[in-house]
Amino acid sequence: MNHSEADIALVEKYFDSELNDAELKNFTMRMESDENFKSLVEQEKVLIAAVRYEGAVSSLKYLEDLEVKLEKETPLRLSSAPTKWYYYAAAAVVGITVVVAVFMNNFRNQPDELFQAYFTPYPNMFEPTTRSSESTDSKRKDAFQAYEQGDYQKAATLFEDLLKDNKEAGIVLLLGNSNLILGNVEEAKANFIALDKDFDELDMQAKWYLSLCYLKSGETEKARAILKELGDTEISYATKARELLDKVK
Amino acid sequence: MNQDEIILKIKSGGQTELGLVYEEYREEFLRWVVKEFNCSLDDGKDIYQLTILIFHDNIRLGKLEHLVSSVKTYLFGIGKNIVKENQRKERRYIPLSKEKWLKENLIDEPTSKIDDAVFERAKNALSKLGQPCQRLIELFYYEKKSIPEITLAMSYKNPETAKNQKCKCMARLRKLFEEETEQNTFAINHESL
Repeated sequence: MNHSEADIALVEKYFDSELNDAELKNFTMRMESDENFKSLVEQEKVLIAAVRYEGAVSSLKYLEDLEVKLEKETPLRLSSAPTKWYYYAAAAVVGITVVVAVFMNNFRNQPDELFQAYFTPYPNMFEPTTRSSESTDSKRKDAFQAYEQGDYQKAATLFEDLLKDNKEAGIVLLLGNSNLILGNVEEAKANFIALDKDFDELDMQAKWYLSLCYLKSGETEKARAILKELGDTEISYATKARELLDKVK
Repeated sequence: MNQDEIILKIKSGGQTELGLVYEEYREEFLRWVVKEFNCSLDDGKDIYQLTILIFHDNIRLGKLEHLVSSVKTYLFGIGKNIVKENQRKERRYIPLSKEKWLKENLIDEPTSKIDDAVFERAKNALSKLGQPCQRLIELFYYEKKSIPEITLAMSYKNPETAKNQKCKCMARLRKLFEEETEQNTFAINHESL
């Protein structure tokens, strides 16, 4: 469709925000009464939109390339996916390392003291308590919240209730931790043994905490056997397990 | 650098400045979004990239000139809106196609969606435009650079030359678009025979 040079200039000035009041009035009038002029305006709008779109796509590609570069230089290790719990476990182990470094100067290698130095409750990686969700069962939410707030007695009771309905590895792990903290060492051992045997996940965590249970109850040979097994692997617990094994007499 | 300086830098800069902001808040944003929405790191990265593009768009279009909060808070707010809006529409954290999302959220107006077929023809015409025209009109319409800024960036003799060149490029784009439309009409007629 042919358009006059004057119309094209008017439309360009409109999109470049250069119209004066009289021109704007003319523009508005033409839009209401002239279909040919209106189609020119619509076409210009689409063309400018395409230019903006290609600009945004180009910026997106730039950010995607930058992300690939950054990930290579400084990889981020974070995920809430259940299959990546071991990243958090690794972080917990690093935390334990720091605690150990401070404590090791001040005590002899008695099993219970080693337990105190190496034990850190496993963090709740299984149910974010801050996230609101309509489907979140209140008992479940209360259980994880109690655990996070350090109310291990309440947490243990609620975790046990939850396990009656649904066997979940994460809950067994946290129940074991709660029992261990509460001094219910035998119950904790049973939890970690069940976690190791009955589930396909969190085996290494189960073994690590079971070794700490044995330290707590003074069964050093059993603790050493598990620590040796962990130390022979390449998993995140291995270094810590080897270090602890050296200290358990 | 304070908040307003960051905004000015992005407004007067290009992709490099955008990249600096991306890098600055990346780790904090990704940690937050993964934890807050229980999403994967890859989804988190997609959300962050779209967040940065909206931040950029708001600055370029003059919607954001001063921040009452911090850049971080502003970015987290955008990220949250992207997730919520997308969960409402697609029951996912992030759209399947970021490109489609860009069209729907940065290009289409709330009251008037551009027809996909017409938009495709406009994109085809643009891809045939060639350089330096493509760059020139992108600087003007996407990055919202002024004619004097474009004169400097593209080494034109003076602003008048840059302005004339921009008009010529748009005229050429209109012609290419009309050709695309004609070809499309011909193809449709041919198919219906």
